Amino acid sequence: MSDPAPIAAAREDGRTTLTEAEGKRLLASAGVETTDFRVCETADAAVEAADAVGYPVVVKVSSPAVTHKTDWAGGIGVAVGLDSPEAVRDAAAGVLAAAGERGVDADVLVETAVDLDRGTEVIVGGVRDPSFGPVVLTGLGGVFTEIFEDTTHRIAPIDHAEARSAIEELHAVELLHGHRGSDPADVDALAAVVVAVGELVADRPIAELDVNPLLATADGVIALDALVVLES
Amino acid sequence: MSLTQLFEPSGVAVVGASRAEGKIGYVAMANATNFEGPVYPVNPSESGELFGSAFVPSVTDTDGPVDLALCCVPGPAVPDVLAECGDAGTGAAVIYASGFAEAGGEGETLQREIVEVADEHDISLLGPNTSGFLVPATDLRCSFASGVEAIPTGNTAVIAQSGGVAHVLAFQSRRQRRGVSAMVGLGNRANVGFAEAIAYFDGDDRTDAIALHIEGTDDGRRLLDACRASDTPVIAYKAGQSDVGEFAASHTGALTGDHELYTAGFAQYGVPTVDATDDLLDAAAALGTAPLPSGPNVGVVTAQAGPGIIISDRIQRAGGRLPELTAGTKARVDEILPGVTYDDNPVDTGRPMPEFGEVVAAVAEDDLIDIVLVYELFEEALGFPVDTLEGLAEEVDKPVLFATEGIDADLESERDAVEAAGVPTFETPERAADAAGALARYARLHAEEPPGAAAADGGWPRPGGSAAADWKGPRDE
Repeated sequence: MSDPAPIAAAREDGRTTLTEAEGKRLLASAGVETTDFRVCETADAAVEAADAVGYPVVVKVSSPAVTHKTDWAGGIGVAVGLDSPEAVRDAAAGVLAAAGERGVDADVLVETAVDLDRGTEVIVGGVRDPSFGPVVLTGLGGVFTEIFEDTTHRIAPIDHAEARSAIEELHAVELLHGHRGSDPADVDALAAVVVAVGELVADRPIAELDVNPLLATADGVIALDALVVLES
Repeated sequence: MSLTQLFEPSGVAVVGASRAEGKIGYVAMANATNFEGPVYPVNPSESGELFGSAFVPSVTDTDGPVDLALCCVPGPAVPDVLAECGDAGTGAAVIYASGFAEAGGEGETLQREIVEVADEHDISLLGPNTSGFLVPATDLRCSFASGVEAIPTGNTAVIAQSGGVAHVLAFQSRRQRRGVSAMVGLGNRANVGFAEAIAYFDGDDRTDAIALHIEGTDDGRRLLDACRASDTPVIAYKAGQSDVGEFAASHTGALTGDHELYTAGFAQYGVPTVDATDDLLDAAAALGTAPLPSGPNVGVVTAQAGPGIIISDRIQRAGGRLPELTAGTKARVDEILPGVTYDDNPVDTGRPMPEFGEVVAAVAEDDLIDIVLVYELFEEALGFPVDTLEGLAEEVDKPVLFATEGIDADLESERDAVEAAGVPTFETPERAADAAGALARYARLHAEEPPGAAAADGGWPRPGGSAAADWKGPRDE
């Protein structure tokens, strides 16, 4: 089985870390919905991309050298809630200039902004454990991942029922089932992502894969970020 | 690899046997000598006899076949001993010496060397760095610990990563009057690991439950696969939860601790886990007593309210459920004991009484009950309801557990009769409740119903399973 294009591209460059764009394409190839995005080399292209995907948008640094985008370059690596061409142009130009100053080969990624209040932020991850092999993790995502460590694990690959059980075991499952009048999230769609991530880490030369956050809403789940590290 | 030569040898050689009391070569010979087959002391520097058997210079010089060699020699001598075992057709060896892989450096090299020799001659190696194993039923005591001859035969196979913990469990099983079908300390697992041992004891007629103690293994998936393949129930105690400090970062690798993986992996592969050595043996005793439960619903019958309250509370935290009894059962209980203290689950009769057994039978026969737990302080004039318990579990096809308290000497014969009736007994309300909880978790893990469907129709989930609000069972917080 040949590797999907994003993995092959990284291998060709001698990289073990995929860019967010490559990571999202890999997820999309596995049937996981991601935000609509474009990768742009210039600020002008970023403005065109924003028109294409629709405002408001998010502008992010896109480079294999930058894995922690929010912390990068004093916090300009991720600009959210941009609702005008000017704002997009400024954010993109800022990223490209900071990259130039740091000697980092970087583009900008422009994607549709997603209202986080529409759903619950979840993390789905995969890791290759030295003893157990491929493992898939499900947990409460976003900033709460670190605080509550509300996660469950399964030896991968797993079927849909096992993925459901991994979700239902979370303390945070009440949030997904609809909390204080909010609509219940599509847990089956979330389970499908857990299955897909388990299969990716089981079938592909992936050392670690993080989809965080993954927004679980009533209308489905959407991957807002993706970090993929290949086995060296 | 077959472990038949290891655990069912026709003849045994003690290599490095010694007349010097206190030396491991003496103690190993002393412990092995009651084995039903021949036991040969091997030592080129000794002559004459030891425990009635003549010394021979090499394992190749015995006058009968030797399947198993107990190697009481220092580590560096082991490769040559194993080569001789190969020449003698000996298919298994226990290596007690330490200083192998656990010591790192040259020890790792030495361990690789013995594995090469063993592989070449198809020898199963228990150890190195182990205190051995016991099969009490055949008086096969391949341990140099003192007192092992007192460990009785039971139906639980103890497989421990640590030889020390193996002995802890074996001696505990004696104090619990249960015993073991076998006790095995795997040590460094040179070529006999958990997977091989589980597969062997799954096929062992004397073993009805397999109790695992694990510190950590570099092939967790093989261990899990062996557990899933075992028809004999397996229960596990993974020692060491202290790696939590590393879980700080938000990435999957950092969020995936060793203990969490073992706990999740065991649940996924059908193995309930416990957190203490006595819990491990209690759960094994419950699981090893056929029949296995088909669900997590526990029916409790108690002759005293207080212990019943402790049990009811604890069972639910341990993964069990206490369903309401059917109207029919309640009516039956009321008919047996008009004005009974409490006629629902738990049924509280208020005190021991001649009708206690009838009440137990009524609850056991309730269709909503999967597991029966009986608590009763010993009352000399009444004894235990042995007549009712006799054959009850088989009849209702549910496990029945019994816990009591009183003066040991007074209740001993009655308790033995309960045990002989196929009902495992427990020493405290908590331990009985925890054992019932382990049965309930086992039932959930082995439920055939998909967990999602079970949750949707308001039924019960399996642990590691789905979401009924009533199960927030043992998990690592």
